[in-house]
Amino acid sequence: MEKKKCVPNRLPPEVYTALEDIVGSEWISEDRAVVECYSKFSVDSGGTLKKHAKDPSNIPACIILPGSTEEVQAIVRVCNRYKIKFIPFTNGMITFNGPTTPEPTLCIHVSRMNKVLDIDEDTMTARVQAYGDYAQVQADAMKVGLWNGGTPLATTLCKLSSQSAFAGVWQTDHKYGTLSRNIVSIKLVTAAGDILVTGSDSVSGMDTFWEYGPGPDLFSLVRGSGGTTGIVTEVVVKLHAWPGGEELPEPPAGRPCIQTYMDAKHDTAPFPKRYKLLWVEFEDFETELKALREIGHAAIGQGLNATGVYNAYYCSQTQDMTLDRVENKFFPPYNCYVIIGGVVSEKQIEHEENIVRDIIAEVGGTFLEGDYKSDVQYALAPWNLDCIRHVTGYRMNRHAYCGSNILGGPVDTVARKTRQVWSKAIDTFGETYVTDRGGMDDTPFLYSSNHSGRYWLTEADVYPDMTKPELLQKGQALVACGIVNTIADKFGPGANGLGVSIEPITSFMPEVGPNAHMLFRGIRDMFDPNGLCAPGRQIFTKEEYEAFPEEAAAGLNKLRQMHGLDPIQR
Amino acid sequence: MAVQKSDIEKIVGQGNVLDDEATLAAYSKDQSFVSARRPDLVAYVENGEQVQAIILKANETKTPVIPYSSGMNLHGATIPDQGGIMLDMSRMNKIISIDEENWYVIVEPGVTYQQLQDNLTEKGLRIMVPFGTPPQRSVLTSYLERDPVMAAPSFEHGNYLIMDTELVLPNGEIFRTGNWASGGDPGAPSGPIRNTLFRMFTAAQGTLGIMIKMVLQVEPIQKHQQLFFIPCNTLEEATGAVKAMQLREIGTECLILNSFNLAAMCADGWNIPEQFPAEASTSADFEAMRKELPPWVITVCINGNIRRAEEKIAYESEALKEVCDSVNLPLLENLPNVPGADIMMKNELLRPWSILKKFNYKGSVNDLTFKAPLKKAAELEKRLQELAGKHGYSTGDIGMFLLPLERGRAVHCEFDLHSPAECGDARHAVKALWLEASADLLNNGAYFDRPYGAWADMIYARAANYTQMLRKLKADTDPNNILNPGKLCFT
Repeated sequence: MEKKKCVPNRLPPEVYTALEDIVGSEWISEDRAVVECYSKFSVDSGGTLKKHAKDPSNIPACIILPGSTEEVQAIVRVCNRYKIKFIPFTNGMITFNGPTTPEPTLCIHVSRMNKVLDIDEDTMTARVQAYGDYAQVQADAMKVGLWNGGTPLATTLCKLSSQSAFAGVWQTDHKYGTLSRNIVSIKLVTAAGDILVTGSDSVSGMDTFWEYGPGPDLFSLVRGSGGTTGIVTEVVVKLHAWPGGEELPEPPAGRPCIQTYMDAKHDTAPFPKRYKLLWVEFEDFETELKALREIGHAAIGQGLNATGVYNAYYCSQTQDMTLDRVENKFFPPYNCYVIIGGVVSEKQIEHEENIVRDIIAEVGGTFLEGDYKSDVQYALAPWNLDCIRHVTGYRMNRHAYCGSNILGGPVDTVARKTRQVWSKAIDTFGETYVTDRGGMDDTPFLYSSNHSGRYWLTEADVYPDMTKPELLQKGQALVACGIVNTIADKFGPGANGLGVSIEPITSFMPEVGPNAHMLFRGIRDMFDPNGLCAPGRQIFTKEEYEAFPEEAAAGLNKLRQMHGLDPIQR
Repeated sequence: MAVQKSDIEKIVGQGNVLDDEATLAAYSKDQSFVSARRPDLVAYVENGEQVQAIILKANETKTPVIPYSSGMNLHGATIPDQGGIMLDMSRMNKIISIDEENWYVIVEPGVTYQQLQDNLTEKGLRIMVPFGTPPQRSVLTSYLERDPVMAAPSFEHGNYLIMDTELVLPNGEIFRTGNWASGGDPGAPSGPIRNTLFRMFTAAQGTLGIMIKMVLQVEPIQKHQQLFFIPCNTLEEATGAVKAMQLREIGTECLILNSFNLAAMCADGWNIPEQFPAEASTSADFEAMRKELPPWVITVCINGNIRRAEEKIAYESEALKEVCDSVNLPLLENLPNVPGADIMMKNELLRPWSILKKFNYKGSVNDLTFKAPLKKAAELEKRLQELAGKHGYSTGDIGMFLLPLERGRAVHCEFDLHSPAECGDARHAVKALWLEASADLLNNGAYFDRPYGAWADMIYARAANYTQMLRKLKADTDPNNILNPGKLCFT
């Protein structure tokens, strides 16, 4: 039997030369070993499936590393001149598809633009280049008593620039909102090669301090675009008061090396100064929800979240530990944790803790403290720092991330809805791994996104073994099933599995905002008239929509019909 | 205009379209310096379907449509630069629902602050209200135009209160943002692809769509509050103290008033006007008080919230005392020479309308409303004082109000120049000062993020790329340029 070859595309020689002229020969490559490195993102089930199928469409033709906004602009203009598709790339931690076109694609990797350019104590802002990450910003800001207000549950290595084009969900959204609420300005090289600056920074000679441009807010067109509107080369984020000291504490046992990573003692750093994390377990889901509602209404704390199966991932140093803890229900299935900071004074911590204790005394629940379940408390220690600067979340990627069922809205409704649709999906398709049951046998992940707990995000994820394509496909079906179910019930557009993308959901589920996809497509056309940027990723262009594989469309239509929706006729 | 009165009558019914001289004249102007211009007719709509139908008819006939809710913008946003249909939505005044469990309300554009606050108060809830916004102003429009609420110093409570929205796009389609987008229940601001697309329509003066429903956060009325007053001699002193207290996240509401504005609020001889411009009158009480009051007063309100209120008020008060001690300023529970100032200010937190008495002074208030970094406020104040002197305008007649935003990241400033409402030399002189001051302050860091009237040309001339993209957006979404043409950079 002939072995199938996977042959990536190449750029036309004149394009390569034009690009090389911009950055110099040392910052551009089409070496097979190099381009392969950019062919699958770190948590990318679609990309992994392509690897299994030896499909070369995820392999960029060429990688280029610009050093400045001006170089990015010049590259984008070359791409427009020659109609070459391109994809912005930070550190490959995006949760869904890379280049999904058989055409030769240029990958623009912004890793050389990696500085925190400025911390402005007066306007409480940080200006960060495209490859600047949360850890950098926090390290610099904390030295002057400020911080950015949170990190994603992924890791602190996520880049603020790319997150600004999505949402940036943090554990401390309860107080600070998502990253998207914390953007003062972005500098965007639009897909057409123009420069767009947003916020007060858009006005010549004005300080960078206010998030709205003059009149209508254009940043709102970039937020959620997932990179399809262009490449964010600089982002200015808000900073907030940080009472936790100039540096975060270290674990008493120090950091692990490769030989000792499995030893839990390296994950036992204490809380930062003037911070406290309260863990509570509940007997059942209803009690948990009641407590979350009451604590939310009390308008205290910086973070208010619940976590089910995820503790087993985050807090276990090996995969065997994860499995053992899930099977033996080591962690409380119904719980919440409250992140408390003393910005006003130490007494704020005492006051807010008193309120949490009052509420738990009223509704029921047990604090994980003292001698009670000390082994569980010890295992939960990674959260002590991760609630502020999240690091260990990537342990989840021992298996492949395959998508999520994420809903937004009031806590009772999102929590219950997630359980309902997720249970139905698992019952229909079966699980890919025992942890897929997270959210149906225990609490789904719940994050308060509003300081009085008015609206929340919930999450149930699929993490199949990435070496088994049939499980990856099943995982995708699980996520799609959950989404279609939610949409059929008119629950809300928060249903956005397949990472944080909504395609093919937007185009194939027009019920999510009856005409949203048409407006978004118009917006994408406005930024990218040649349809070149981040192909196939977010809000299909007309051509991408028509080229969407018939087999996949049929699968979605089958799910639609299963949930009482008419099939989409293209 | 190609559209006929009868076309619109078919949509909204006879008697609901007016084109008599008196009506058109009333809609042709407000108290601002923006030049008057009459609409061709005024249509009173009662629901979203009528709005849609009028938009479709306007597209057919290329007729401008000017969305109008309460007429209380006071900055010329609803003056029809190119004539057309004045779309009066004041009859769409339903409070559609009040969610007491999740603390939000759904309102139509005709719902006023007075109406909503009265309804909410009965249920123990409150809407956050901008300081000095008329009680007759549309809540929806006010939020849409980014009027900063009194709680805006607090990051959590102040600057992100819009949740879901429903609007009619320039092509007549209904568009929903937030959780509402899929046709189910509202409940969160993020919509498809995690966008917060409602922001695109903010401060747009109705040029990109007509919002017909809005979901807004509300909060329980505070049962325990502690007010403090901090008198200061200079604005620099005041902003320094505010910066220090905001960095420690003390208090929720916080504002700085100069003696002119504080005296206007407290003046016994004046009432809150119902019309703007108001009829000018004198008040001996005001004149006496503005001489006696400290030049600047910071007002801070510490809210107890719903649990352990006394405990919270105690530790925040203690922290505030530490801040005041560190900057050598007194911390007072009441204002000397103003008996009952604490009670008055507590009332203002729910109904902050006493400041509107300032319209009694000359009739018309021509504000310079902008945002700036907190540290620049004092410098901008000095510049305005100098310019006023140059123009022969009494510096003591400038009313000033400053609202720190997001814990001191920025400050919202309203510097008022008073003039008679009637055209004449006195009004022209103030207009000349207002124009020069607008340009000068802009040149020195005052950011007019809501570009009404003459500010639009000034600021868009400095934001070429932003302007170009806005124009593309307008051309794509409103190809016939029917929605409030001539506003912003959409000439």
